[in-house]
Amino acid sequence: MQLLDIRNLTVEMQTAHGIVRVLDKVNLQLTEGEIHSIVGESGSGKSLLAKAIMGFINPNWQVTADRLWWNGQDLLAMTPKQRRKITGRDMAMIFQDPNAYLDPNSTVEQQIVEAIPQGDVRGTFMRRRVDRKTRVKRLLHRVGIRDHESIMESYPFELSQGIAQKVSIAIAIAHRPRLLIADEPTTAMEPSTRLQIHRLLARLAVSQKMSVVLISQDVGSILPETKRLTLLYCGQLMETGPAHDILSEPAHPYTDSMLRMSLQTQQELPHKARLPTLPGSIPTLRHMPIGCRLGPRCPYAQKTCVKAPRATHDRQRVYHCHFPLLDSSS
Amino acid sequence: MSHLLEVRNLGKTYRSRKGWPWTPKSVAIEPLSFTLEAGEILAVMGETGSGKSTLAQIIGGVDTATSGEILLNGQKLHSNNYPQLCNNIRMIFQDSENSLNAHLNIGKQLEEPLLFNTQLTAAERQERVNLTLQRVGMLREHWEFYPHMLSSGQKQRVCIARAIILEPQIVVADEALVALDPSIRAQIINLMLDLQKDMGISYILVTHSPQIVKHIADKILILYRGKMIAFDKTDIVLEDTQQTYVQQLLHEHLKQNIQYNSDRSAKIAD
Repeated sequence: MQLLDIRNLTVEMQTAHGIVRVLDKVNLQLTEGEIHSIVGESGSGKSLLAKAIMGFINPNWQVTADRLWWNGQDLLAMTPKQRRKITGRDMAMIFQDPNAYLDPNSTVEQQIVEAIPQGDVRGTFMRRRVDRKTRVKRLLHRVGIRDHESIMESYPFELSQGIAQKVSIAIAIAHRPRLLIADEPTTAMEPSTRLQIHRLLARLAVSQKMSVVLISQDVGSILPETKRLTLLYCGQLMETGPAHDILSEPAHPYTDSMLRMSLQTQQELPHKARLPTLPGSIPTLRHMPIGCRLGPRCPYAQKTCVKAPRATHDRQRVYHCHFPLLDSSS
Repeated sequence: MSHLLEVRNLGKTYRSRKGWPWTPKSVAIEPLSFTLEAGEILAVMGETGSGKSTLAQIIGGVDTATSGEILLNGQKLHSNNYPQLCNNIRMIFQDSENSLNAHLNIGKQLEEPLLFNTQLTAAERQERVNLTLQRVGMLREHWEFYPHMLSSGQKQRVCIARAIILEPQIVVADEALVALDPSIRAQIINLMLDLQKDMGISYILVTHSPQIVKHIADKILILYRGKMIAFDKTDIVLEDTQQTYVQQLLHEHLKQNIQYNSDRSAKIAD
């Protein structure tokens, strides 16, 4: 059974220049214990999708969906209170800059203790205190921090970026969520720290049976363990499906160019050669092209691209393109 | 023959605010020497706190060294000799959003280095700004724009324009490629390579992306806790399997590649 089932999620924003559709009919299905990567450049609405799932919604946004189901329950039909209860119990999120996200005024221990659910520790006052401390230690060990004594006593500014991100993961998994949304957790990090965080997320997905939605800017920086991959561009779904198929044989021109632009895939390119890239820049909210929003930058675009393409279902993957690179017959 | 840039025993130490006069100073960079030739790209790598940004700032003239000297074309570089510094070495910073002045339009912003460092008339200055804007792939109409009207890629282009407007010999880029989207990053790398071909600029590139380094750098300098542990041509450093730290920093990440056959379709050009 699907843990999370999203069909045709549309988010519209009220701006000074009228209503802008920032997410346009996005689909997402997630099963338990699966790692799903969402890749898109800035302004593609990937963080907005995460916010819509978590329910962090600004009052002047309009969220509509044919289906926004969590574990068989309709999230959109709930009262805010019911929804908050489910979000708080089952979901967690980590962000790009852990040093900004942690509370600068309290120690790591205090912050993790805060995240441990009330019902988890029982007994007398002293008993609860000791229990909490052992739980904090265990959580820190689980995210790969061995030196728990000194880390527990330190404030966020004393931690390096990698350690701070690990602490924020410890806080996120303190109530054993079934879904962890990681919103660009490693974008500004060094490669070695990034590798550590990625390994940790992959391990947690297996050991805790937790689904992970990893949001990333670059196809090159997704987890190798990723099961399914979704590419967004300017709020439109470009391609979604099993990661292995997409990476080895992209159907959508955008996927193809993202793979070409990523230096990880460019092995045989001569030294100092010009890199392949898409011309132009990402359109702003005010100047969204009609039809396929990739149109003006797409090397394959033709006249028909001013109409939004319908979804093509090809075995397990779905893509929206008039001129896919893949022959659907083969 | 003198080198374009020669760094001799450059070191930087900080005295901490607390402590006695005889407490040992903290060392940011231990004395190091290296050379850079015209038209080369030198990549400075290392983890956080290894002193790579400090090194870039000293060369860029933002910070001063506590020991050693820098020679530019065989001439000693003084950190208070602004004409010499500004005309030859320019910097690009990591955060293009914050390194532009929000109160000035792009034209005035680009005009400022000309005002302070050259004797050009107003008309010549305008001509030079227009030329430079076109050189970085923007239009002369962008003169009137303010930074908030531009996208992040265009802002980065303006930063590059501001760096090259005095036609320097060296551009120091401090993590200038980190915060950009993949398509914009590829465009900026192409722009930097094109400018190098046209104007013969040398780059000092502070970065921690092994892929970028492998692709564009001619030489690599690796810092580890303020100490220079490797400095050589890129292919030599990449083939070096002796040092475990170099292994960690470069090889592990270069191994992680996505299997992708690029000969399938080749329509995406440039």
